[in-house]
Order: sequence, then structure tokens, then C-alpha cells
Amino acid sequence: MQWLDAIIQGVLLGGMYAQYALGMALMFGVMRIVNIAHGDVMILLSLIAVSLAGVLPVGNIGLIVVIVPIAVGIGWALQTFILNRVVGADPLPSLIATFGLSIALQNLMLEVWSADTRSLPNSGIASESFQIGPIYVGLLPVIVLICAFVLTGGLDAVMRYTRFGRGLRAAAADTEAAAMTGVDPKRIYATATAIAVGILGLAAVFAALRATVSPSDGSAQLIYAFEAVIIGGMGSIWGAFLGSMVLGVAQAIGLRVDPGLGILFGHLVFLLVLATRPEGIMARKK
Amino acid sequence: METIKHMRVARATTSSRIAMTLGIVVLVALVAMPWWATSGNIRWAIELCCYIAIAQMWNLLAGYAGLVSVGQQAFIGVAGYLLFVLAQNFGVNPFVAVFLSLIAPAVLAVPTYLLLRRLDGPYFAIGTWVVAEAVRLATSNIDYVNAGAGMTLRVMTQYSQHEREVAFVLLCAVLLLATIGGSYWLLRSRHGLALTAMRDNPVAAASQGVNVGRLRFCIFVAAAVGTGLAGAIYYMAQLRITPGAGFDPFWASMSIFIVMVGGIGSIEGAILGALIYFFADRLFGEFGSAYLIVLGLLTLVIALYARGGVWGLLQKLGDHPWFPVRRKLIVEE
Repeated sequence: MQWLDAIIQGVLLGGMYAQYALGMALMFGVMRIVNIAHGDVMILLSLIAVSLAGVLPVGNIGLIVVIVPIAVGIGWALQTFILNRVVGADPLPSLIATFGLSIALQNLMLEVWSADTRSLPNSGIASESFQIGPIYVGLLPVIVLICAFVLTGGLDAVMRYTRFGRGLRAAAADTEAAAMTGVDPKRIYATATAIAVGILGLAAVFAALRATVSPSDGSAQLIYAFEAVIIGGMGSIWGAFLGSMVLGVAQAIGLRVDPGLGILFGHLVFLLVLATRPEGIMARKK
Repeated sequence: METIKHMRVARATTSSRIAMTLGIVVLVALVAMPWWATSGNIRWAIELCCYIAIAQMWNLLAGYAGLVSVGQQAFIGVAGYLLFVLAQNFGVNPFVAVFLSLIAPAVLAVPTYLLLRRLDGPYFAIGTWVVAEAVRLATSNIDYVNAGAGMTLRVMTQYSQHEREVAFVLLCAVLLLATIGGSYWLLRSRHGLALTAMRDNPVAAASQGVNVGRLRFCIFVAAAVGTGLAGAIYYMAQLRITPGAGFDPFWASMSIFIVMVGGIGSIEGAILGALIYFFADRLFGEFGSAYLIVLGLLTLVIALYARGGVWGLLQKLGDHPWFPVRRKLIVEE
């Protein structure tokens, strides 16, 4: 029963990771852009949400409505002014540019918000839970998981069936050929990053509701998102969702074995997947 | 028909002869430091030498072999830890243990490379980072090395301060010779041609008969050992190591910053970058996060507008290599 509980808590944790990983699946998995500042942007949005909650009495739903457009704007600007200049076959320039941005953002947040941990005021939802048999399940993690599930389905459908999705896949596969068929790769990339960071906006509000955030937390979120995308399989949106579940469950089980081993188990499962199935669990068939 | 009488291949230039002479002067001055410099300055020199060595090794990886690693701290940490265990728990002379401790990064580098070799570019970078994090977390859970609390090198008290300083400057001289001298030797050798070809285009290099996979493997292990030596010396001078410090991702950040600002893909760039970083840190480190914001933005601007870094800009003013690796054919009448 203890292990069943660990698996359920792991899946719920995976729901949170899936929200970080979806944007990463789009940027890293499809567009092959390495964004080292991914986690820091999420933390930035969380901190903005916490500060806004102090002045705007709009409630949690209202906060999401305010934060997501801000996130979309940040994503669009990030791609237009920085990433579009460094995107190419060589991953090093985008890695270096966003690495610099990550250091700058982390320290900017330290200057503005100091190193304190912060969270959104508890409105009751964070501590509500219900009981299934002998296992307690938190209400907020379930909402997070459902949101992640719906977002994954939506994003996957967008990638498969819309003009934008086709254009993005074409631009990622062969930028020049896509441009010849009338796709504007730079504009479509800017839209994709805006969507990716927009999802982070939602994740940011949930993260601040669920636990605390501080300016230096970004790199942990970044590594989990990368792991989830690679475990799931590059280019697959549902793969990122599944990869997040695998990562969450691995961490929850490690945590039950020994409190010091939770995150290590996640890393070990990631390395195991690399060793045995480097194309990921849900790699697209060639 | 005119025949060419004498040909020779020139490699040294005026600038390289000056640089070589200066290099020898610096090395002699470094070794003589215990007799002319203060202890504080010697500590700075040790730190600077470690920065140069670690950055040089990262440059070899990212600049030539096309292996962008953000997990070099794994090798710093394991070498440091093996040194502490050998000297503190097994009573090995610490100055011998420094060299024995290089076994750890070499042993770690082999499975790491074999595991990650199938991954290209960004995957590889993330893979190395996860390996470093896994090693850090594992170390934090091993009671034998004091888990998260870290270890102290108490055996160093058996040496006087002067003895320690003499040993440290000698170790630093060995470190610089091994990392800079080793890189220079490698780049001038037959493998250097292969490496330069790989840097410019790995696929084309492979088609010319370069065994890209084997060369990458050798570079990865060599860079791990070089980085490990710097790590062992650094933490021996610190007298203390913890998982948080030894496996700090800061080491990767520092390497990236130094090599990008200095100029990737050249020995001179890594040295210049290390000097810039070291003195900037001394001058502006007190401004804390504001200084780091500028450092981050500087890296961003370099990635966007000046990929060659400071050395690339200097090269535009005139071609004066310190470590020439090109060959020039001179025809004598």
C-alpha cells in the first residue's frame, strides 16, 4: 500500500513536471532550441504572480488570466530578440546565449525579490484533500494533473491538425524548404515560443500555490523538464507528458526508500533510459 | 622551367617567440613565488591557475571536439574526494595522492562517455549535467565521506606553511604545463589537424579518414583528467571539500563564461578569458548579484554578436598568435 501511495503521489508530482516539460517539448523537442533560462523564466513568472497577488485581489483564476498573457509576451520577445538570432544547426550559440540570460535573470530576481522563499497566499485549495480508500490525495495536485493532461492533448492536436502545427514541424525539419513553401520560420518560431512560455505562466501560478519559490530554484525545474522530454522522446508531446510521469514516480519511490535519494532516483532512471532506449519511450517511428 | 630550390615549413612567428619567452618567465616567477610573494598572492595564483586549466580543458571539449559539457564539475569533485580519502583515510602523502586521485576522473569519464556518446549536441550537454548531479547526490548520501557535511584535510598540518606553498606552486606549474602545454602539443601534432578539421565540420573530417568517435573519446577522458587535476589542487589548497562545493554547477558556468568571453576554439582565448574573469571577480565581486547580471548579459551579447570573443576581436586587428598551430610554407630563392 505504501508503494501504491508512492506511485499515486509520483503521478501527481509528474503532473507538475509535465507543465514545465510541455514548453520544453515544443522548444527543445520540436525546434531543437536549448533554452537554459527555461526554469528561470518560470520562477520569474511565479515571483511576478506572488507580487501581483499582493496588490490585485483577483483570486487564483484571475491571477492566471493576468500572468499567462505576460508569459506569452515574454516568450514572443525571447524568441524574436534573442533566440531567432542564434537558432541553427549548431546548438552551442543558443546554449550560450540562454546560459548568459539565465545567470542574468537569476541575479536580477535576487536583486528585486531577495533570496527569500515566497508562495501565493493559501486560499484553502492548497491544503484540501480527499480520500480514496486508505490513500489521501491532495485536491490541488489533481487539478494540476488534469490541467497538464488537457494542455498536452490540446498542444498535440495543435501540432497535428492546425496550419500552425504543420508550419512549425516543417520549419523545424528544414528551415529553408519551409520558407520556400510560404512559411515564415521566424514568425512561426516566435509564436511557438510564446505558446511554450505561456504554458509556463500557468505552471508558474500552480508552482507558487503548491509550494514555495525562490530565485535560485530555476535550474532544478530546468533539469526535470529536460529529463522528461528526453525520457519521453524528442519531438513527441505525449512523450513529454509520459516522461514527466516516469520522472515523478521515480522520485516519489526514491523518496520512500530514503529521503535523500528522491531526486537521485529520477536522475538514475533518466540515465537508464539513455543507456537502454536513447530515442525515448515514445520516439516517433522512422 | 624553374625549379624550387629550398622549401621549409615555418611554424613559429615573432609573436609566438615573444609569447613563449614570456610564458617561461611567468612559469619561473610562479615557481619562485614562495620567495617573493605574500601568502595571499600565492592563494590567488593557485586559484587563477585552476581557472585557466579548467577553462582550457572545456575549450578543448567544446571548441575542438564539439562536446559541449555542462558537467565538468563531476570530475573536479571526484578527483577532490579521492584525494581527501587517500590522504585523510589511508594516510597517503597528499602530494602523491594528488596524482593518484586522477584515477577517479579517468574511471568516471569512460562510462560517462560510453553512455552519452550516442547523443549529439544539446542532448550530450544535458546528459553530462545529469551525470554530475547524480554523482553529487550520491556523494551526499555516502557516510564514508561524511555525506553532506564534507571532509577536511587535517593531514596538511604536518607541513609548514612554506613547505605547502612550495609544493602548491610546483603543482600549479605542472598543471599549467599539462593543460596548456598538453593542448598546444596535441594541436600541433597529427591529431591536431584532425581536431581542427573536426571543429570546422565533423562529417567532412570523418570522410577524410579522421576517426571522430575515437578522437572524441580520447579528448573527453583527457579533459576529465586535466579538469580533475585542477580540482584536486584547488580543494587541497582549500583544505575542505563538500558535495555542494566540489560538484557545484558554478564550475561549468565559469568555464562557459571564460571560454566564451576569451574566445572559443583557441588556446589564447581561454587564457585571456581566465585573466579577465579572475580580475573582474576581484574588482567587481563585491557588487554581488549586480556584477553577475552584467556577466550574464556580457555572455549573451557575445553569443549574439561576437562569437569569437576577445581573442576573435584581437585577431581582427592583426594576426599575432601566441600559440601558432598553422604551418606556413616558405620558399627560398
